[in-house]
Amino acid sequence: MTDRNGLGVAWCAIAIVALLSSGCSSQPPTTTTTTQATEVKQPTLQTFDPPPLEKLLADHQWIERPVVDSLKLRREFEKDKKPLVSVAEALAMKNDSDKANEKIVGTLGLLPKDDSAVDFDASIVRRLQQEPKSLNPILTSSMSETEINNLTAFGLFSFDWQLNPFASWDTVKSWKASDDNLVDIVVMRDDLTWSDGKPITAHDVVYSFQTIMDPNIDVPAQRSGTDKIRWVHAYDNHTVAFFHKEPLVTNVWNVNFAVIPKHVYEPHRRSDPKLERDLDIDKQVVGGAYGFASRTRGQELVLQRRESYYRHNGKQVRDKPYFQEIRFKIMPDPNTSMLELQRGGIAEAELSPGQWQEQTNDAGFYQHNTKVRGSEWTFFYFGWNFNTPYFSDLKVRQAMSYAFHHDEMLKVHCYGLFEPCTGIFHPESWMMASQPKRPPQKQDLDKAEDLLDAAGWEFDPSLGVRAKTIGGKKVPFKFTMLVRNSADRVAICELLKQNLQSIGVEVSIAALETATLQQRLQSKQFEANFGGWGTGADPDTSENIWGSNQERNWGGYSNPKVDQLFADGRKENDRQKRGAIYAEIDRLTYDDQVYTFLYYQPSLYAFSKDMRGYMFSPRGPFHYGPGFSAIWQAAQ
Amino acid sequence: MVALVTIVLLFLVALCSPAIVGTKPIVCNYKGNLYFPCLGYFNPKWENPIFIKDKFRGVYPRSLKQKDAESWAVWPLVYQDPYRRVKADEWHGVPSSREMLDNPVQNHGKPSAHNFFGTTPYGVDVFAGMVHGTRIAVLVGFVSMGIASFIGITIGALAGYFRGWIDVVLSRLIEVVMCIPTLVLILALISVIAEPTVWHLMAIIGVTSWTSIARLTRAEFLKLREMDYVAAARALGASHVRIIFIHVLRNALAPVLVPISFGVAAAILIESALSFLGFGAPPPNPSWGNLLHLGQDHILGKMWWLVLFPGLGIFLTVLCYNLVGEGLQEATDPRLRQAGK
Repeated sequence: MTDRNGLGVAWCAIAIVALLSSGCSSQPPTTTTTTQATEVKQPTLQTFDPPPLEKLLADHQWIERPVVDSLKLRREFEKDKKPLVSVAEALAMKNDSDKANEKIVGTLGLLPKDDSAVDFDASIVRRLQQEPKSLNPILTSSMSETEINNLTAFGLFSFDWQLNPFASWDTVKSWKASDDNLVDIVVMRDDLTWSDGKPITAHDVVYSFQTIMDPNIDVPAQRSGTDKIRWVHAYDNHTVAFFHKEPLVTNVWNVNFAVIPKHVYEPHRRSDPKLERDLDIDKQVVGGAYGFASRTRGQELVLQRRESYYRHNGKQVRDKPYFQEIRFKIMPDPNTSMLELQRGGIAEAELSPGQWQEQTNDAGFYQHNTKVRGSEWTFFYFGWNFNTPYFSDLKVRQAMSYAFHHDEMLKVHCYGLFEPCTGIFHPESWMMASQPKRPPQKQDLDKAEDLLDAAGWEFDPSLGVRAKTIGGKKVPFKFTMLVRNSADRVAICELLKQNLQSIGVEVSIAALETATLQQRLQSKQFEANFGGWGTGADPDTSENIWGSNQERNWGGYSNPKVDQLFADGRKENDRQKRGAIYAEIDRLTYDDQVYTFLYYQPSLYAFSKDMRGYMFSPRGPFHYGPGFSAIWQAAQ
Repeated sequence: MVALVTIVLLFLVALCSPAIVGTKPIVCNYKGNLYFPCLGYFNPKWENPIFIKDKFRGVYPRSLKQKDAESWAVWPLVYQDPYRRVKADEWHGVPSSREMLDNPVQNHGKPSAHNFFGTTPYGVDVFAGMVHGTRIAVLVGFVSMGIASFIGITIGALAGYFRGWIDVVLSRLIEVVMCIPTLVLILALISVIAEPTVWHLMAIIGVTSWTSIARLTRAEFLKLREMDYVAAARALGASHVRIIFIHVLRNALAPVLVPISFGVAAAILIESALSFLGFGAPPPNPSWGNLLHLGQDHILGKMWWLVLFPGLGIFLTVLCYNLVGEGLQEATDPRLRQAGK
């Protein structure tokens, strides 16, 4: 799951990244804080002696796993699709209804008929929310870094827009798993080169795994997942085996990590063992489709297409990336990005609902751009800290949900663009496919008051608020709601404050900047918070939010049944049965009212009229395979 | 003179804000008792708890009639609220009810007969926000300058009266504090406080803006301590404290009022700037700077009223304080007075 608390793309934000798309992938930390403290000192890897390849191959039955060319997959998916309108019509349309949106995405979102339609010399300017902290793909932690690594980093695995995992045809020749699901063997292609001309080999994969697991290095996100791998071994330059600790379904995700060049980082780490310094931009060596050309800190980062990526020994061996150059401009302010869009200065930007509804309807916007939207499995919530006298009680949490004016929020604050959220998993996801749709929560102040009374929080005229006697002391019902200091989010908390005030509960709102907010949540120094979660590629990645004592379970929710179900879910191979397990987790967390669920936030994007090929996944238009690799600029 | 009148007016607006705009009655008779729910705008505790207990849910017009048909109430001049969106149905079932509409939201909230200065994107009335915002503006000006004057006058008086090493130390202290960029220091201090309130803000502005007051007081004391009447007082055996506060300070105070009056204007500007940057009083906070901040977020949505009215409010207030300061300067500076003649 992606944390949606942090630094925002216009309206909302992502701080910790879950997964990348075509190139490589990372998953959020799943380690508990308690074990992490000890982890730092002890080496996490225990040496493992892999058997010889012949013996390994003979000992098991082997199941072939999919190796997929994600662009080809897209082409096949689109094969029978006819554009709903002509390109000219789609470009002239205003996106003012679901129908219009369908027509625009269905026409402009298609891949090119053939290469002559593509302007391969195109340079695209994209917006970056903030300066990337590190360009090293294994140190990825923010949305900006993900965007960059998507294009530059090398990886063996990816997943499609329905979040099905596969090995990437661009890098892998074959992938098979042992019948006991404890070993994966991947044969890499032999036409892979780093941007400095050296070949990419299985030894780089082994080295990357060992670097990620090195306890001396502060790896923010990638270690979760890889920590479930026992060992990675290179049998030769192209054959690499992943040995797992347990036969988990999620092993297909655990092997998905970024690969860094051994011949660059090995010498570098002699002077910088903790990887605290980033390599200079001209010393960066990458294995992805684009390489680093230049960087002006605080302003822009320029990537260039790598000829050695798609050509090998004078022959084209992979799809030619669609852009000659990608310029990332660093633009924290959404107003600036809006003005740049109108000027034709940037080719794409995520929009806030306000921008979608108010600032992108006039000819000024449509002169250079069009806008599109798609559903995304990202939800927002009020989180309650279970370790407080108030929210340890289910009745109180239910009362909070009843007290909030959901309809007002959806209509006013969300501009009528968002769907109400009814649980931790999206109703369109495969986990919830067979479940009846839960009706959205409605405000009912009488019920909220009854619940509070029943929980012992009765109105105390002398205090002016509700209070309860706990351990002989009268505790007034006053709590602080933490929220990131953006006006739209604060306004939603103000609505809650108004609602609760009218039933005798006092809320103060602390609007904090991202770093402070993160720190307060992580140290569990809070009573309630407003935040959001994006989806991971697999529901198992959300264990670290709802499992007992898990790292991002800030509210301290603990339900042994949920823990058990997460453990079961990892081991269940049948997708339908697995889905039922996660649906049960969804039901339990909903019945426990872990959160007051608020709304799902869809992807809202503006694209320049020259751009084509965008398609939405539950993780937005870019973060899957092919994702951004499918975006192309039409030849004039 | 006009400036002085405007400031007095501002005070009155701040004091009477709940009576000018609000959704809580100024006075009401409910179940045989008199209540003043509008005081809740000053302090939520002053709003009688009976209204929460009786499930008024923050909506008075409808609830009053429903719960007690005999009740009566005197309403503020304008029925709008600085904290929440006012809805049409709040007057439902009240005989002879006023014509009401739901407050418009998003960018539909242009100034109108219902919302004089328009509404915010969330449907909160800007006029109500402005009127209640004067409280913060006035408070910030006075409290922070109160603190600043206290520190400034004390330090200036000590430095000027005792001279010698005390003067050297205090003067250096003044210089050091002057060197620190105020806004940066304030931002740093606010980030240290876990949950800053408007009172913290005032205190911080106060403790960082006393230097000009201190310098002027010191200069006045240096001059006045040599006067004959001070020597006379000393000869009579008056204590230092008595001489400083009874004899010298009274004579030094007139010119010191000038930087104080300018300081009030500066404090209001700083508070607006902080709110504008999103570091102001905690939400919901109907301060002028906060409204401006909203305006900046929505400037491309063509919501000009969110910028114009709070901007004008800040501009006029600061201008008035500066004019008053200038007036004081003219009145206390004999050279200027002579030049005027």
